[in-house]
Amino acid sequence: MNVTVIQASRGLFKIDLEGVWQYRELLFFLVWRDLKVRYKQAAIGVGWAIIQPLLTMVIFTIIFGTLAKIPSDGIPYPIFSYAALLPWNYFSQALTRSGMSLVGDSNLLRKVYFPRLIIPFATVITPLFDFVISFFILLIMMAWYGVTPTWGIIAMPIFLLCALMLALAISLWLAPLNVRFRDVGYVIPFMVQIWMYASPIVYPVSLVPEKWRFLYGLNPMAGVIEGFRWALLGSKSPNLLLVGISILLTILLMLGGVVFFKRMERTFADVI
Amino acid sequence: MDNNIAIQVHKMSKQYEIISGRQRHDTLRELIAERFQTAFRRNGSAREKSTFWALQDVSLQVNKGEILGIIGHNGAGKSTLLKILSRVTEPTYGSAVIRGRVGSLLEVGTGFHMELTGRENIYLNGAILGMRKDEISKKFDEIVSFSELEKFLDMPVKRYSSGMYVRLAFSVAAHFRPDILLLDEVLAVGDLDFQRKCMDYANSLKNDNATILLVSHNMFSIKVMCNRAICLEDGKLCFDGPATEAIEFYEKNSSKKQHVSPADAHKFPIRFTDITISDEDGNPCYIFDHGQRMRIRLKFTTARPLKDPNFIIAFIRSDNVNCINFCTALDDFQIASIDGESSIELITPNLKLVAELYTIHALVRDSSFQNLYSFQVGPKFHIRHNLLNTHFGVFHEHAKWSWVDD
Repeated sequence: MNVTVIQASRGLFKIDLEGVWQYRELLFFLVWRDLKVRYKQAAIGVGWAIIQPLLTMVIFTIIFGTLAKIPSDGIPYPIFSYAALLPWNYFSQALTRSGMSLVGDSNLLRKVYFPRLIIPFATVITPLFDFVISFFILLIMMAWYGVTPTWGIIAMPIFLLCALMLALAISLWLAPLNVRFRDVGYVIPFMVQIWMYASPIVYPVSLVPEKWRFLYGLNPMAGVIEGFRWALLGSKSPNLLLVGISILLTILLMLGGVVFFKRMERTFADVI
Repeated sequence: MDNNIAIQVHKMSKQYEIISGRQRHDTLRELIAERFQTAFRRNGSAREKSTFWALQDVSLQVNKGEILGIIGHNGAGKSTLLKILSRVTEPTYGSAVIRGRVGSLLEVGTGFHMELTGRENIYLNGAILGMRKDEISKKFDEIVSFSELEKFLDMPVKRYSSGMYVRLAFSVAAHFRPDILLLDEVLAVGDLDFQRKCMDYANSLKNDNATILLVSHNMFSIKVMCNRAICLEDGKLCFDGPATEAIEFYEKNSSKKQHVSPADAHKFPIRFTDITISDEDGNPCYIFDHGQRMRIRLKFTTARPLKDPNFIIAFIRSDNVNCINFCTALDDFQIASIDGESSIELITPNLKLVAELYTIHALVRDSSFQNLYSFQVGPKFHIRHNLLNTHFGVFHEHAKWSWVDD
């Protein structure tokens, strides 16, 4: 017989990880629901996960690679940009969806109990499936261009985890804010767009003047994307300073996010 | 804690914030604008945050297998209590310990996704209710046959009729067997048939020795289902004891409170000052047996002399069916004119209404039923009968049956 104790929550960092584990099946079903719904209504279904990054890559190659002649550290531009689009597309999707997640599931929040953390958590997991599909396309492209993967590829999951943690950390801030202020829903697409140009996707970090590097590194996605390029394409080893700042910032955002989420969580059902 | 206790609530309080003026900031712009306003206005009186206590210091203990009724007026804190116990919202102070799996029919259909098929929704909804995947798989066939939707199982729910939708949602919920059921009949919107299904479900859990907390405005359900009941008023626990006594307590209180006039009552030339009901012998009474007579006394005062007033008493069933009207004009009770304070009384015929909750409406019109001189919602009463319910119509009358020889 399970015993539940109900009381006003106290303690800043006391997150109910045990509860999340208990409700892991719900987490699974929420991810499963999002995937089903996502591919059910689309005529091409899973095809979108291939077409979208591929088309973006083609456009980037034409505009930034061919017309603007932006350097790409000696790597063929299509692969150069695609390897960055891989983590970026994942990140932007995860962020957009999980920022809206609590509001989207408001009827659940109002009626049933489960650790609320599960909702943003599920929405950062769902886009991983698109990631996997796009990853296979990259492997095909690499074979086509004759780029051999290096041992660094083993480190890729670490950088993917960084992107996941970062998306989760930020959505722990945005999703509860969106419950209070629906403006957040309008801000997120903008934010993502600006953020993309502030990240080394269409250009290499080497293009950023040395003295601005540190400031540039305050964008935690910079380190993640650099890491991806290094892991997949064996380009120059990543700037450890960039990666270090990325990880540190992610941890800080995450800790703050958990506290913030916990604080807001109490009133979700009352205000949503 | 004693193993025999299912729920122990200790000094539980819940505070809600009401922001006067506007409910809440819907947009950042409003918040920023307001912050500026308050910053520039020294007194900071732009908007006062006021709070109210939806629950105050409620302590309660419910034993395993007990069926506890929760009664009280709207806003007394009944639903808040259930919401806290189902962990949808947190208490401000106090604590509760719950032993066992909690379910509430609030969740019927919660989390259903229109794009998914019936089959997929059964799994999704089951998981949301807190069922394990293997538990759902085990009960899957039962759920499907209960809903009678075998043929439509692989059709997206958006193509279902609303009846099919509810049937599927309910059969998932009904196969969740919680140890503790929190049932808010007030919120169980839907047709009577659906409400009845909920009660059947509660009854089946009762046989499994589940603990049930039942919130209802229907004293009859409370009386039938519960042996113990609590009464909440303004967030405070004001009665805890045998159900019949709790109902008496509540009704004594509500008869004082519920003579709420409509907003424009002051425009009426006649005002009812008191409406009391009693049994035939004049003893105050709120629960009548089927076939009993009722005495209703109307006390009123007029603002100006009125000619030919026509007093009307209507019995409105809880589902808003106007069941019967008595009026002075049709009963040949002539009132030439009235002025000032006076009282009249009527005795009803034997009430053959089916068992339900009824509300008395008192009206005054002119003798041609054109102008409305007054309107007042009066006390509520129950009709009691162990068989006759709304399935039997509005009234029940006996008829004479016989064989016909050809």
